[in-house]
Amino acid sequence: MSSQTTRGGSIPAWVGIYLRDHVVHIAVVALFVAYPFLYDFLTATFGLTAEMLLPEVRTMLTVLWLGLFAMSFDFISGYTGYLSFGHAAFFGIGAYFVVLGYNGQLPVIPAELPFMALMLLGALLAVVSAFLIGLVAFRLTGVYFAMITLGIAEIMFIVATRWDFLTPGDGDPRDGIAAGSPPDVALFEPEIGIPFVDPLNAQIGPFGEETLLGINIGDPEIVSYFMIGAVVLVCYFCMQRIIHSPFGRVMIAVRENEARAKAIGYNTFNYKLGAFMLSAFFGGIAGALLVSFEGTVDPDTTFFFLVTGFALVASIIGGLGTLAGPFFGYIFLEGIEEFLAREGGGGGLQPFLEQTLPGGVLSTNLGGTTVSEALNSFMTGHGEFYTGIIFILFVLYIPVGLLGTLRQRLGTESVAKYVSRRVGDRLASTDQSE
Amino acid sequence: MTLLFVGEILDLLTSPGDLSGVLIEGFAKASLYLMIASGLTLIFGLMDVINFAHGAFTMYGAYIAGAAVLGAGVGSFGLGGSVLTFLLVVAFVFAVLALFGTVLEVTLIRRLYEYPPIFQILLTFGIAITLEEFMRIFVEFWGVNQGQWRFDWSSPRQETLPTALRGTKEFLFISYNGLHLLQIAFGIATAVGIWAFLNRTRYGLFVRAGVEDEEMAKALGINIKQTFTVVFAIGAGTAGAAGAMLMWDRLWSVSVPLALEVLLPAFVIVIVGGLGSFKGTIAASGLVGMLDAFGTWAFQTGVITFTGIDDLMIFAVLVLMLIVRPRGLFGVEGQGDHG
Repeated sequence: MSSQTTRGGSIPAWVGIYLRDHVVHIAVVALFVAYPFLYDFLTATFGLTAEMLLPEVRTMLTVLWLGLFAMSFDFISGYTGYLSFGHAAFFGIGAYFVVLGYNGQLPVIPAELPFMALMLLGALLAVVSAFLIGLVAFRLTGVYFAMITLGIAEIMFIVATRWDFLTPGDGDPRDGIAAGSPPDVALFEPEIGIPFVDPLNAQIGPFGEETLLGINIGDPEIVSYFMIGAVVLVCYFCMQRIIHSPFGRVMIAVRENEARAKAIGYNTFNYKLGAFMLSAFFGGIAGALLVSFEGTVDPDTTFFFLVTGFALVASIIGGLGTLAGPFFGYIFLEGIEEFLAREGGGGGLQPFLEQTLPGGVLSTNLGGTTVSEALNSFMTGHGEFYTGIIFILFVLYIPVGLLGTLRQRLGTESVAKYVSRRVGDRLASTDQSE
Repeated sequence: MTLLFVGEILDLLTSPGDLSGVLIEGFAKASLYLMIASGLTLIFGLMDVINFAHGAFTMYGAYIAGAAVLGAGVGSFGLGGSVLTFLLVVAFVFAVLALFGTVLEVTLIRRLYEYPPIFQILLTFGIAITLEEFMRIFVEFWGVNQGQWRFDWSSPRQETLPTALRGTKEFLFISYNGLHLLQIAFGIATAVGIWAFLNRTRYGLFVRAGVEDEEMAKALGINIKQTFTVVFAIGAGTAGAAGAMLMWDRLWSVSVPLALEVLLPAFVIVIVGGLGSFKGTIAASGLVGMLDAFGTWAFQTGVITFTGIDDLMIFAVLVLMLIVRPRGLFGVEGQGDHG
């Protein structure tokens, strides 16, 4: 097999087959890599219109870790059918571990460990807690499973909001903690990359490095976007590999008919527990990535019930039970929020209308307020209102989500497979015609 | 530490004033929890719909009741007049929310009965976030919580709660709070009212038949669709009425986050009591209310220094109950499982 070569080249044939198999992945990754430059180009060319329609790079950066979290949520909820309603617990564990570990507040862990080590250790802690939670929770099914995970996550949320151990000194735990805040700890300068290979590392964060691989990009946000994106990509491929392995097939069997999977002889409890621990690992990584850029954690963005809630919303919009779906769901969600509610400081519809509508319309009186004021109130910072309506429409009319619909239309089990098969067929037919 | 705790408990048990205070507070909290949770359990029992919008209904109820009470100027009527007006307000809130619930059921929720239960969870979750954010827009746009309408909306109780219901009173050796007694009265009224609805009315009979065997009930000519609508309306109305009650309580506030603060304990009570069992809900509210009151007492006397103890207790009860008795106190095998 590997001795065969492609037409006129010395590259082994499997490289071609591999690339063909992953043609969708390559295209999507290329689009993501190009996006920051594309955004700059389009906003420079089309100005306010492009700014209104496209999500900012900063928004896409948020999507990276939230999307990874949503994927890890979908990994357990969409593939085994067990709704992990307290999944935010693992996100929070990953995030808090990095901050507390860096500040030297945890036993055994020395302060100022490199970020990559903290991220992996935090994810492992999430795995251990998933093991303990799973031991209890997987004795239950359905609503009861969802509720016990929710209960445990809520306990963590309450502890994170009230436990004064978290903030030495007189800070309020509710306001969150910053990494590197104790006076004897160095500034938090997280580096992501391959350990011990200096050129393949970059310091991230709003004040991180501006160069990557020797190329001056000029914006630390974009460097962070690439480095965090690389971690998310690796995580995605790991999850994708697991889903398509025999282990993943058993997960799907559990979702489709657990009694039958058991009858065939699979110990479904172990499979469910294993899947839960794996999804907790990636959830923990997502939490660590949040800290890597933000540098702080607070309970409301990590352990909070709605963190899971919005992962669920993203999963439904993207397609529950499609691995990449939740990620695209989050892009859609954040894009909508930015468009209609200017969340993330983005352009959005409101400034566009302010500029394009004639002044007479804007100053029209509407029962005490002007149109302009009303626009400002309704289209700034209330993204959840529109998200909710869109979500309801999805549940009613597109219950399988964006990727799920695509999958149904194409009649295959995954969109990537369909496209690579079509590309393969096309290549084969050109081969024959030669 | 533990020795100290035993000492404190002995102190409590031997002091009838303190003990009665804690017990009355426990019953009052139990009543509130019962009012919050009974609508949820009613809807789940018949329709298998876990209504995530329940907390939002309660929040709307609290706002509407706050507006009505402030608008009527209840505080100046004296005890009898205020309580009577408050009753009217509760009835009004119940009617408004029941109407709203009917509209939601007929237009949205009805479409999804044939789907797996998760879709109803999703739909009601979507309704919940939309309603919450709408109220947030409303509140911000009209400056409601900033006192623009001359009132302190986040706590209408301060202006409208009759003086007779404020503060702690002594009766013989029993110390009590007037508002707690009112809450207990409402809690008992809710329990009796829903029990009577289920056991003494025609619709209650339909509901019980529907819970027992939906197919057979349909075959016997019961209009299950209409029954679903009625039950959803009553559930939503009860949630709203609970919001009216919470409006006066010191520990809750009329604000948008109230929706979530209500929703999660309500879930806990419904699960702890056993999904779909009204008897279980009453028992679980009693349990959680008492634990909450003792948790507050333990914090006040300094036995426990963790500030989140009462919230923590509620979820600890949930987790422990699911470990020990996965079906809850009075749960039925098969309810809420897969499929």
